Amino acid sequence: METTRRNILKAAAALLVEGVVAARHPAFAQQSPPRAGRKVILVTCGGIRREESFSATGVRHIPHLYQDLLPQGVFYPLIRNNGVTSHFNTISSILTGHWQHLDDWGKTPPASPTLFEYLRKDRNLSQDQAWLISSNKALTNRIGASSVRDYGQPYGANVVFPKQLLIDAVVRAAQQGRAVRSADRASVLPELEAMLETQNYEGLGWSVSGETSALNPAAQNAVQQAIHDLVSATSVPATGDEFTWLVSAEVMRRFAPSLLVITFSDMEVAHFGSYAMHVAGVRTVDRLVHELWTHAQSLPAYRGNTTLFVLPEFGRDMDGSTTNGFFNHRQNAESTRNTWMLALGQAAAKPQIVEQPVEQIDICPTIASIFDLKAPGPAGNAQSGKVLPGLLL
Amino acid sequence: MTIPAQPSPAADLAAYRRLIARLPVTLRPELNARLAQWPTLFPFEQDQFAAFLRGIQSTPSSQLDALTRPLWDLETRMGVARWDFSQSESTVENASLLARSPYYPEWRQQVDRFFQAMEHNAQPSTASQPGPAQSRLVLLLLPEHLPVDPAELDQRWRSTGRAFRIDGDPQSLRRLALQGQPGTPSLASVLHPAEDTSQLWLIDAEDALARDAAPALAASASSLSFTGLAAFRRQFLAGINTIPRNISATDQVIAQLRRQDWSPWYPAALAGQPRLQQFVLNLWLSGNGALIFPNAFVEWTASEALRRARPRMLVARFGMQTRPKPFTSIAIFEDQQKISALPSVDDPESSALDAVMLSHYIWLAALRYPQGDNTFCLCIAEHPRTAWLVAPPNRWPAWAPGQSIAPQQLYQWLAAQLAS
Repeated sequence: METTRRNILKAAAALLVEGVVAARHPAFAQQSPPRAGRKVILVTCGGIRREESFSATGVRHIPHLYQDLLPQGVFYPLIRNNGVTSHFNTISSILTGHWQHLDDWGKTPPASPTLFEYLRKDRNLSQDQAWLISSNKALTNRIGASSVRDYGQPYGANVVFPKQLLIDAVVRAAQQGRAVRSADRASVLPELEAMLETQNYEGLGWSVSGETSALNPAAQNAVQQAIHDLVSATSVPATGDEFTWLVSAEVMRRFAPSLLVITFSDMEVAHFGSYAMHVAGVRTVDRLVHELWTHAQSLPAYRGNTTLFVLPEFGRDMDGSTTNGFFNHRQNAESTRNTWMLALGQAAAKPQIVEQPVEQIDICPTIASIFDLKAPGPAGNAQSGKVLPGLLL
Repeated sequence: MTIPAQPSPAADLAAYRRLIARLPVTLRPELNARLAQWPTLFPFEQDQFAAFLRGIQSTPSSQLDALTRPLWDLETRMGVARWDFSQSESTVENASLLARSPYYPEWRQQVDRFFQAMEHNAQPSTASQPGPAQSRLVLLLLPEHLPVDPAELDQRWRSTGRAFRIDGDPQSLRRLALQGQPGTPSLASVLHPAEDTSQLWLIDAEDALARDAAPALAASASSLSFTGLAAFRRQFLAGINTIPRNISATDQVIAQLRRQDWSPWYPAALAGQPRLQQFVLNLWLSGNGALIFPNAFVEWTASEALRRARPRMLVARFGMQTRPKPFTSIAIFEDQQKISALPSVDDPESSALDAVMLSHYIWLAALRYPQGDNTFCLCIAEHPRTAWLVAPPNRWPAWAPGQSIAPQQLYQWLAAQLAS
């Protein structure tokens, strides 16, 4: 059953990506690839405390990160989120190298250029070379490009929310008062298909593409078939992060983007107070990051020239806090602000632990250095990140 | 303007409002909201809030100016005057405006500084509320059907508690606590002054506590259960799920949910209890999973009860949760029964892990307040027949850790401690 479920999810992921292939119009005919074909994969994974990860009590939840990957990489045990500890603000800060103070619900784009924009503009790359694939409901497509006049949407990333597609389908079915029955799935399919008819790329999470506002018929058929298969055959819970990973894997196979950002969020179920489901989400991310790295090593386009960064966006509030501990991530405390990061691969070829405290806004200028891009400068009076120590740039 | 020690509502509330209007704008929403809910605040909250306001009033102008000046200056730099900032209640829009400001961290520091100073200046009345020195009890029950791992319990409790093995039926302790026995009063009646229902809380993921409590006791307690609130929960969840992805619309929906007449949906046990009804409404609106998971409901209800009512006795019983059904794990904020017609399946292991973590959270919540210094905590894990006890300094039993104790023995010792 597990194998069947995975195969169906894989097929759905492939078909989703197929939709993009069919609809994509290259924005830039001439491309100059980044330095020596270098690639970067940046994985952020919601709020995870040290207590449930890199600590004596926590390593049982991250066997792959701790035992398999840590010995190969550069580990930063003291990376700090000094910004607003919400998802949209944190990911925007990581991508721009400046602490962002934006609407938490993603109503406004980042106020300084993102890595996607620096990379695409500097290298004249097509949109297919910069992707953000996210499980997180707190993000919107505005995460893919800034509001800065000389950059912005023409240089933005493909932003995809695979989980949102599934949620929309399930919620829509629920709102119509029709339950997902294992025995009578036909009652749900019209709702799913109606969603595809009435919502355009935005609803499916495709964005920034600008000129195309609907799926082409072939892609739409493919997506419908994928959802049909998924709903029909799945009898055990499918996590959003697993689907996000499968779409990411398909994007890597088909496009081999220079910069791929993935955000996982299964662990965010903590907001609803299930500790058991929260640590299950941590374990899922541990497994998926390992699979992602293994997958990258299996693809010629990635093998030997890829650097992977993986980090939580923040911790979570400490036990006993007035903000209800692990449920939330809004306490101005070490448990919430201090987290860890692991770098693997090409720029992290000399395994070590860098105990020097660093900040999350240091990631952007570091990745810019990997691509040999002009380092992002200060934005007004805002603090800029510095290149991370311990890497081969 | 004088804030009286014994409030007589209308005139005093007007005085409170005038006082709040003198404070920096960003402090006003929360204080005004509390004032608007004055009739449904618990006695402890009313005393505390009035003492806080009297503290502000009695603070010399020069000190108050020095305390609020940094906030006024920050508000000018933040441009608060140009914001669409509600002064009557805390809204999502307010929070978003504050969080977007680059001065937000500095603002938080100044707000903390102000409240710390004012809490120091607070002038408690000589009201009838039980003082922090009176003995109190938090009784945490992890029922038999939750396969609690003793190692998980040990991890949470070992730094503050002592474990004992229960020699006998662990459920009998619950019944003794709520019913007593011939010649021995129940723990609840030892601690609980019957005239104030906010001093005894019975919080249940299922419905065992209401079943076990003596009728007179149940009538004089604040009693809430996840099971008993099922109809109200479902209706409220449907309302919450109409919230669009838009801040101003979210505030509108929340305001509408707050104003809506929910009386047809309250269980009979809440009839005629406006304080408790309002408490539940605030609980649902504050999130933290109270609408979704039974054990999160128990934890968050207990934490809020401890914060707002400072009860002398609180009993919290955890329970069984169901496994997420296919697809519902990706749309967690939905009613599983509505989304999926598949039968519900119990999830004992996850329920047990959540119960261990969240029961400890209730005790940590109790420790935040001065009353925690004189509070006994007894966590009974029925499946492994283990009791973890935390006692105030110098009030520990003579039993050796790990010793087997009969429920009757434990009960009598606890009753004697609480009566003294």
